[in-house]
Order: sequence, then C-alpha cells, then structure tokens
Amino acid sequence: MTGAIALFCFGAVTALLSLQYPLGSLRMPGSGFLPLALGVMLMGLAAAQSAQVRAARTTPAESGPAEPAKAGDDGRRVLFFMGAVAAATALLGPLGFVPMSFLLMLVLLRLMGERRWMACGLIALASSAASQLVFVIWLKIPLPGGIFGF
Amino acid sequence: MIESLHYLIGGFAVAGTPQNLLYCLGGAIVGTLIGVLPGIGPIAGIALLIPITFGLNATSALIMLAGIYYGAMYGGSTTSILMNVPGETASVITCIDGYRMAQQGRAGPALAIAAIGSFIGGTIAIFGLVLIAPPLAQAALVFGPAEFFSLMVFGFVVLSNVTGGSLIKNLMMTIVGLIIGTIGLDPVTGNERFTFGSAYLLGGIEFVAVAIGVFGIGEILSTAAKPAELLDQQVIVPRLRDLFPTRDDLKRSIGAILRGTGIGFAVGLIPGPAPVIATYASYMVEKRISKHPEEFGKGAIEGVAGPETANNAATQSAFIPLFVLGIPFGPVTAILLGALLIHGVTPGPLLIAESPQLFWAVVASMYIGNFILLLLNLPFVPLFAQILRVPKRILLPLIMLICITGMFSVNNSLPDIWTMLGFGVLGYILRGWAYEGAPLLLGLVLGPKLEVAFRQSVMISHGDLAFFVQRPVSLALLVVTAGFLLFPLAKRVVALLRRKPVAATVASTTAEKEHS
Repeated sequence: MTGAIALFCFGAVTALLSLQYPLGSLRMPGSGFLPLALGVMLMGLAAAQSAQVRAARTTPAESGPAEPAKAGDDGRRVLFFMGAVAAATALLGPLGFVPMSFLLMLVLLRLMGERRWMACGLIALASSAASQLVFVIWLKIPLPGGIFGF
Repeated sequence: MIESLHYLIGGFAVAGTPQNLLYCLGGAIVGTLIGVLPGIGPIAGIALLIPITFGLNATSALIMLAGIYYGAMYGGSTTSILMNVPGETASVITCIDGYRMAQQGRAGPALAIAAIGSFIGGTIAIFGLVLIAPPLAQAALVFGPAEFFSLMVFGFVVLSNVTGGSLIKNLMMTIVGLIIGTIGLDPVTGNERFTFGSAYLLGGIEFVAVAIGVFGIGEILSTAAKPAELLDQQVIVPRLRDLFPTRDDLKRSIGAILRGTGIGFAVGLIPGPAPVIATYASYMVEKRISKHPEEFGKGAIEGVAGPETANNAATQSAFIPLFVLGIPFGPVTAILLGALLIHGVTPGPLLIAESPQLFWAVVASMYIGNFILLLLNLPFVPLFAQILRVPKRILLPLIMLICITGMFSVNNSLPDIWTMLGFGVLGYILRGWAYEGAPLLLGLVLGPKLEVAFRQSVMISHGDLAFFVQRPVSLALLVVTAGFLLFPLAKRVVALLRRKPVAATVASTTAEKEHS
C-alpha cells in the first residue's frame, strides 16, 4: 500500500512538472506530452494497485501480507552501512581514494561483524592497495588524489 | 546460408586473434566469478565492468561483455549446487535437485552435467542465431517507427507479465523507468526536461548508475540486513576425481539437454527474463514427461541438466532481438545495448549489413567462449568452491568498494556515485515492497527510443492514432499485447464470478440453518 501511495505521488509530481513544458498536439507532441501521459498512467495504475490491496484486505480468502515484511531484517545495520558509504563518498574528493577506501573497508568490516581489529586493518589495507593497483595503475582511471595525492 | 557460413569463418578469424581470445577468456572467467559470487548478478556485474572495455574497440569490448554474460550463466549453477544459494536468478531452479545431489555426495556429476548441458545448449543456440539472425534482419528492414513503437510496448507488457509478481506493479516499474528516461534533453526538440537547472542532469540519468544501484547496491543492502548467523552457509567442496558423471547419468541427461536447448532457444526470442523463464519451463517439462517424477526434488539429474541447458540456450538466443531489432527484451541485454551505444555501435536491422565484422566476430567468439567455459568450469570447480568460502562479512564491503570505484570509472564523475547510491536505496526499498527492478531498467534504456518512435509515428500520420493498427506487423504486436494485458484481468473476473455463486450458496445455507 505504501509503495502504491508513493508511486501515485511520483506520478502526480511528474504530471504537474510536465505541464511546465510545451505539450503540443497529437499531430506534433511537445516535450511535456509523454511525461504527462506517463505521470497520469502511473497515477491510474497506482490507484488500481491501492484498490486491489484494499480489496484483498477486506476479502478474508485473499487476505494476507500484501507487502511482505522481511522478518528479522536489521534495518539499523542498513542505515549505518549506507551512512558509512555516503560519508566515504563525501570524503573521496578531499581525502583521496586510498585513505577513503581504507577507512570505508575498516568501518564496513566492523559493521558486518568482523570483530578482530587486526584482521579488519589488514583486509582494509590489502583491498585499498589492490584497488589502487587495478584501477589507478593498471586501468589508468584518474581516481581523486585528495590531500595526500593518492 | 552459405553466405552466413562464409561470414562466420571470417568471424572466427577476427575472434581467434590472440588479443580477442584473451578478452573472451577474461570475460568468461570474470563472468563465471560473477555467477559464482552470490550478491552480484550479471546485470550489476556487466554494468560495473563496462568501464574496463572503454580502451577497447567495439568488437573486443562486445566479445568480453558477451563472455561475462554467458560466463555468469555457467557460474550461477555452482553456488546453487554447492550451497543451495543461486548465484543469479536463472539458477534458482537448479538448487532444487542440484543441492540434493550434492547432499547425496553427487555434487561432481551435478556440476559436470550442468557444464556439459550449458555447452551443448549454448553451442546449438549459437547455430540457431547464425541461421535466424540474417533473414530476420532482412525482414526487419521494413519496420517503421510504428512497428518499433508497438514492438517496444509489446516487450514492456510481456516482460511485466512474465517477470513474476504483480502485473500492475511491474507495469508501474516500467513507467517509472520511462519517466526517469525523460530526464535530460528531449530527443526530438532538444529542450531541457526535469533538469532543475543542473548541468549534470542534461545528459540524462546514467543507466549504469541505475543498474548498479538497483541490482548491485540493492542486493548488498538486502544481504547486509540479514542477521549475521544467516549470512554464511555451508559449502560442499567436491574433489576433481568425483566430477565425472556415470553412464546412467549421461543417458538420463541427454534427452533433458536436447529438450532444454529447444525450450531455451525459443524462450530467448520472446521478451522477458529469458534465462529465468527457460529454466522453469524446462524443469516443468522434464518433471511432466519423466518416468520417475517422484525423484524430482530429491536429486534427479534431469532437474539439473534441463534447466542449466535451457538458461544458456536462452542467453545466446536473447542476442537475436538485440542485434537484429536493436530492442533488448530483458534487463541484461538492455545493459548490453547501453554498452554498445557507448562504443558507437547502434544495433538494429542494419547492424549485420553495416558491421558484419563485429556481428560475426561476436558470434564466433560465443562458440569459442562456450568451449573455454566447458574446459574452465570442470577442472576449476574446486577452486570456485573455495572462493565461496570467503565470508559475506568480508565479501559485501569488498563488492561495495568495487561498485563505488567502478561507478566512478564510467565518467570519472562523483555525482554518478551519488546517483548510484540513491538508486541503491530505491532498489532496497523496492525489494521490501516486492517491486521488480528489471522493468524499471528496461523502461529507462528504451524510454528515449520509445518516445522518438511514438512522436515520429504521430507526425507521419498527422496525429492519427489509427496508424498503429493500419500497419499489419504493428497491429499483430498490439493485438498480442492486448491479449497479455487482458488475459490476467479476464482470469480474475472469471474467478470472481465462480466464487460469487459459491459464496451465495454458502450464505443461503447458513441463513436457512439459522432460520430453522
């Protein structure tokens, strides 16, 4: 249900924004024609999906988890995981690739349950060095150097 | 036919150069690794590796990317059989009997039959590609914008129908992909759309960022969300000497392999996640015609031979619509289309005529690649099994680092990484809501083509929408599309009508009882 509502809103925003562009006519459709049509179609389908979910909830035979929840999922870990990745991306420019990849690996390994600091440090060091070798030295990709120059 | 064979020999000359052989081998090995490693499927894998091909010419690049694709299909069976975890979705079915065989100490024959079947299926399907592609390309030369528009709509609807899950949800995902595809410059007038003054958005949303985000990061986050004790599973490591199937295994598998080839080849030609559907169809057929259906689910070798053959045959034949029509019918071929466009190659009816060297070299490389994979897979299975022992708590951060670095490499752009992360979060949320990513990706890749085809059609017809049904091919495609849309609806209506009389009878009986 939440998904259908979110997509309905996305369709509505698309349709509204597309009105800023020339719609043209069926003979000569403008830039806003297709986005408007797609936005409206998305709203219609999202409404149909919501109606279907509501109907399934009221019909005992069809009731059940319409949007299955993942039992036992650790949402907090996902949040921290993405937080660490976002922070690393923000630091990639100023800090440089090698320090960023070392820190990112260190944090993610700890977050994923690797308890030994020594192991985390060694794996992080090896993976950032290997990435530098493969991407920068072998493939010649100009990854940001940052304050340390690598 | 003779002309095709002549060109194919020329293709072998190009594909057989040491440089191209190396790319074919590299693609096959990397693909197998992608297939073996759970958490990174062929879609995200190919998208990630596109930057590696930037320095190559289009032929070598496509040889390598195609190698990664069918290599992943080969490798996917390894995790299914040894860990009961499919390396990619097309190997889900192999888990059923493959893992049972492994538990019974027969992992070796299961892996060997999967590799042999994949080789036979792939090789015969390539032969089919050689036979069908040139005449189909000739026929497709008469396609105008109306036919291409109808073909794309047909592709979207069929993909939404067969991807699995709800049809409405899949159609919504297609539309979301099409909407995202409208960001940037209008392909007809050049006007800016939904850029909000950002220069970054002028070029549109990078499809590689979407592919890695939705399929790669989304999968990483879903796995990271699992409790630590569920992350790693036991791996059964077979010994090399145990790999050889018995005479009985071979006798039981040969029919399944041939049927799997036919099913896979046919399914690869229609829209949808061909390898996945092919495996299911093959398994159902084998179970139905088997003299021992009770053995299925308990370690029947036909349950490994058929599906594994079918998914490789489908992988090869899925190249036909991509090369000949320029329309990818599945998410992986959509990624390959994007890669081809990056390399300045526009697939379509004129590809074979205008770039015969590229087309036939890639076809020839498929033969070579299949042979390499057969040689590679069997002796190296114990090695691949050892890779599976790397704990996920180490693997996931590593894959994440590769995703970030790989994404940056596409355009040397930091904003691309943010886009990828954004779509990663979206992919994770969509999984939670049981929405599929494949229709979104196909919508995004084909969006601009669909818009151009639609606008050209209505301009040619002076706004007359009947134009789409006045052309026979377009009409036929739209009729089939309507059938795919209306059939599920009709099924629901019939089910509702059947339920109503039953419900009414129950209600009246209850009322009578209460009354008495």
